[in-house]
Amino acid sequence: MANIAIQRIQREFKEVVKSEEVAKCSIKVELLNDSYTELKGEIAGPPDTPYEGGTFILEIKIPETYPFNPPKVKFLTRIWHPNISSVTGAICLDILKDQWAAAMTLRTVLLSLQALLSAAEPDDPQDAVVARQYKEANDIFKKTASHWTNKYAGGPNCDKDYEDKVTQLQSMGFDEHKARVSLSTCNWNVERATENLLS
Amino acid sequence: MATPTGAEGGTTPPGGADSADTDAGTFYECNICLDTARDPVVSMCGHLFCWPCLHQWLETRPQKQMCPVCKAGIGKDKVIPVYGRGSNNQQDPREKLPPRPAGQRSEPENQGGGFPGFGFGDGGFHMSFGIGAFPFGIFASTFNFNDGRPGPAPPGSPQNREEQFLSKVFLWVAILFIFYLLIA
Ligand SMILES: [Zn+2]
Ligand SMILES: [Zn+2]
Repeated sequence: MANIAIQRIQREFKEVVKSEEVAKCSIKVELLNDSYTELKGEIAGPPDTPYEGGTFILEIKIPETYPFNPPKVKFLTRIWHPNISSVTGAICLDILKDQWAAAMTLRTVLLSLQALLSAAEPDDPQDAVVARQYKEANDIFKKTASHWTNKYAGGPNCDKDYEDKVTQLQSMGFDEHKARVSLSTCNWNVERATENLLS
Repeated sequence: MATPTGAEGGTTPPGGADSADTDAGTFYECNICLDTARDPVVSMCGHLFCWPCLHQWLETRPQKQMCPVCKAGIGKDKVIPVYGRGSNNQQDPREKLPPRPAGQRSEPENQGGGFPGFGFGDGGFHMSFGIGAFPFGIFASTFNFNDGRPGPAPPGSPQNREEQFLSKVFLWVAILFIFYLLIA
């Protein structure tokens, strides 16, 4: 990896470690290898959102051309959000694409992702299914996102109704996660979710 | 597996970074490499970079050149090199590749009149004196330092000579007239 990339990551690393957000346990970065090409990010779900109380793990890959090109970031923790794929964790965020600027850092990226969790942009979606639900059935969207946060990110809010529906499909022999995805997609209508799983 | 503090504590310090890296020094850090800026340039929006760093950024996105910090418009000809005292000891940055753009010396703004042609000493000023009342107008135009008095005839032409002759005649007439007034 180019010298400037390594040096940047090393310095940014210190910046994040020293930052007040780390002190508040709001963001975190860890090195995954000695060559500074792969890192693990962590952001806390922002308060007053369905993601509150959850911890979301991110995969961060530093390209050879960093910081002239953005890091490649995706969610490893499953999340229900219009701008993040519920399947792959891929993120649709302008600063990770054409709006990247060389002065941005890991810290600003993590904070931007946290801001994205607070303010989704359903008109520029990554996950069309989630975006539609966000716009057409926002209450269900919030409950679903909160349920996913509880299940995958350690969030505190447990929704008994949704739990039961997942268990119900599981007892029919379906995989737990697939059942949850299908129910989430079908606005928690069990019959449609079952049909969806069988088709 | 490395821990978040791994880079700070045990292992080798990164890139031979100077330990005397105080907070005050961060004001002069390049916004791209985060190191003390070398061959520094500053953008119109006031952001500091190493020239090699900024050059590479501009090369990365040639069609959309913006400040890496504030996204203002930026370009090779829109940055100012910064020369600190003692920096001459180092190699001339312009000999390095990519060359750092040279500083530009613009002339101080001329604070003179806003109306061209109304300035003193440009010849146009004297013209109005030539057509005064009889003797005094002659005085004015004749004693007008003889420089660049704008007139229809170019100097040296027959018409010009005739004019000068007439001027002198009138001058003598005027002097005689004043003399006459004094003794009368
Ligand atoms: Zn630099
Ligand atoms: Zn700027």
